[in-house]
Amino acid sequence: MKPTIKTLISLSLASATGSLIAAPDPGERISFVSCPIVRDTVSVPCWLSDYDGDTYYLTIQSDVSASVQPPLLGHQLLVEGVVTDEPAICGGIVMEDVHLTAMPELDANCNTMLPVDERYVIDFNPRPPGPSAGRLAFDPAPGAPREEPPAPQGPQTFDIYFDFDKGISFRHPRFLQQIFTTAGKLKPSRMTVTGVRGAHLLSNGTLLQEAENTGHRRAEEVAGLLQDAGIEVNTDIQWIDARAEADGVDDWQSRRVTVTLTP
Amino acid sequence: MNIQTKDHRYLRLFLFTLTACLSSTGLTAQQATSSRSDLWWAPGEDRPLPAYIEYANDYGRVGLLNSSGTVVTDGHPFFEALGTNGRGCVTCHQPADAMSVSVATIQQRWQDTNGTDPLFAAIDGMDCPNLTPGEENSHSLLLKRGLFRVALPWPPQNAEAEFDIEVVRDPTGCNTGPVYGLEGERQEISVYRRPRPAINLRYVTSSRFGVSPFIGKTGMLATLDPDTGRPVNMNMMADARDVTLKQQAQSAAHGHMEVAQPLTPSQLSRIQEFELQLYGAQAWSNGGGALNEPGGPSGIGPQAMANGSDGVLGNNTTRYVFPMENKWADLPEGSSVEEASRNAFLESVQRGHDNFFYRTFWIKDATHINTVGLGNPIKRTCATCHGMHMTGMDTANGWMDLGTTNYPWALEPPESPWSVEAPEMPLFKISCRADLPPHAFLGRTIYTQDPGRALISGKCEDVGAIVIQQFRGLSARAPYFSNGSAANLRELVDFYDRRFNIRYTEQEKTDLVNFLSIL
Repeated sequence: MKPTIKTLISLSLASATGSLIAAPDPGERISFVSCPIVRDTVSVPCWLSDYDGDTYYLTIQSDVSASVQPPLLGHQLLVEGVVTDEPAICGGIVMEDVHLTAMPELDANCNTMLPVDERYVIDFNPRPPGPSAGRLAFDPAPGAPREEPPAPQGPQTFDIYFDFDKGISFRHPRFLQQIFTTAGKLKPSRMTVTGVRGAHLLSNGTLLQEAENTGHRRAEEVAGLLQDAGIEVNTDIQWIDARAEADGVDDWQSRRVTVTLTP
Repeated sequence: MNIQTKDHRYLRLFLFTLTACLSSTGLTAQQATSSRSDLWWAPGEDRPLPAYIEYANDYGRVGLLNSSGTVVTDGHPFFEALGTNGRGCVTCHQPADAMSVSVATIQQRWQDTNGTDPLFAAIDGMDCPNLTPGEENSHSLLLKRGLFRVALPWPPQNAEAEFDIEVVRDPTGCNTGPVYGLEGERQEISVYRRPRPAINLRYVTSSRFGVSPFIGKTGMLATLDPDTGRPVNMNMMADARDVTLKQQAQSAAHGHMEVAQPLTPSQLSRIQEFELQLYGAQAWSNGGGALNEPGGPSGIGPQAMANGSDGVLGNNTTRYVFPMENKWADLPEGSSVEEASRNAFLESVQRGHDNFFYRTFWIKDATHINTVGLGNPIKRTCATCHGMHMTGMDTANGWMDLGTTNYPWALEPPESPWSVEAPEMPLFKISCRADLPPHAFLGRTIYTQDPGRALISGKCEDVGAIVIQQFRGLSARAPYFSNGSAANLRELVDFYDRRFNIRYTEQEKTDLVNFLSIL
């Protein structure tokens, strides 16, 4: 989950001309809830969000292999990131270590689509807005060696991260598969599944918490899926509240389930 | 070529000496006589299904290719009347209709038999089994839109329901009735769907791409093949409730044919074997001539289907969804009027293909495409969702809400004091649980004609999600979409134009229709 967006930035030749952006200090960590904005370009769209008088660049459209995936119009967006002094992209301040999650409730105000503006050019193009060249944008190059993980020994712990208030989704099959595969090798005698109700300390001082039953619901869902998939061992299901952890630093990690397999 | 037709609309059986086509397939030509009775394939008919045969339709001819050779149908469980209502699999999977059944064929059968054919059996060929048989009004959805009733238990048997269902409108009377109604004796919900074509099922059921124990779009557990214990692609039925050919056959035998006893393993194996060797696609175009000529596009025609690779993603410039190699781009003007017309048509087809593959538009608020990490909206093309090589289906677990059944996009007649058109489809109000996140684009209150996958999964996010169908043989099997809401190919294109505000030009629409017509 670490900053592939920075890689994207370093590769980006995108530029904004004719405007100076009053950026917060580089290195400043910010966290806010705002509407996403999609701006068309002559290639792929880019995603932005306004907060506290500034416009932030979030990501561009690519494909499912991107580590920072575009948000949803129709929903507010929870943004976490660290401000950089990289050249602006699509007119937005560039951040690194970006984490985005859609707020679950619908918000009809979040519906801004901006037309192509020739001042904003995305010429970093991991995936055009149509058919690919035969591979996913951020997959390893063909022929790249895949490291085989060592055989698991001792208790194995996995963290699975979630969208705000949400349960299992498209984000999770590979992580569930990893747990499932590990269990097949480890032959655990016990599984502990701990669901966490996430909490965020926003830059404006607001404490933003997930719905009250979220940790419990996530733990039950993950445990049920893994059991139904074939990990039929004694299972402890627990849930906790992450309110005390929220400090505005990587709070996205509080929206999680931790699974521990014990031999 | 020897085309014999007596009636423009109904005598679509094209029986031929297929010299040109078969010279490229290496198959033995089949001949038969043309007659009206040959068009309709009734269960129990003792006639072989040739290794290759073509049937005429409004756009040309569809070709069926049995890669294992001529099929002896006498005693074959696909072609025999196995049920108590006189139906066989073939009743709703007609060779002339690319192994689906078109509404034109249904209407003709009604006329030919005064509604007594087993096709119109009360179980699902009527709007509701408790209506008066033999009256057109009792079979209105089948006769007007080619829809069969699908009765499903509610709440779902193997999942927790995240929503409640109310019946808002019930023009068939079935969903509010004392027996078949949602709160009736049987606790069923009746939805109305088109039968899917039983061709190219090697592709449709392929598990070579995107299949794992956990469903890629949702993270939920994939359904397992009961024979192998392995996850399968869940891409065959509109709601993915049956996931293997044998399961589907058994389910159809019970639900559509009303068999007294379950099909035997031998019968199921024979049905599966037949279905996996059968290929179909348009083979002749009225505008463009033979579609499988040597040197033509490699992805067009029934032989291409038999030759192709299944489980391959085609939304890329290495494999393509429908490989055409630009063979029909920039053709010469031609030395005759006929040749010029043919070449102009084929160039239109090529443009339609290129439009399908490259023409971008905003795809917005479509669950299971805009909710799987790509963003909402995404600027992409038709091939983004219709991305599988040779079929244009979605990748594994390809259910998606394009709006074909959900309000506000589903086809509804105008409601006004002056409207003379009455709604035909039921309308359900879905109320999603308040303690769970709402549907990403429709909130917690959704109106739908058919909840689709949600009737099986119980998930609010699946309301109106329908498994994407293959594109082959379209010319032979109108109407389109699971609820038959597009009467023809133009209406199909128009739906997408409205749904995604694409603003196609007339030329683009024509090109797309021509392209779809030759698949």
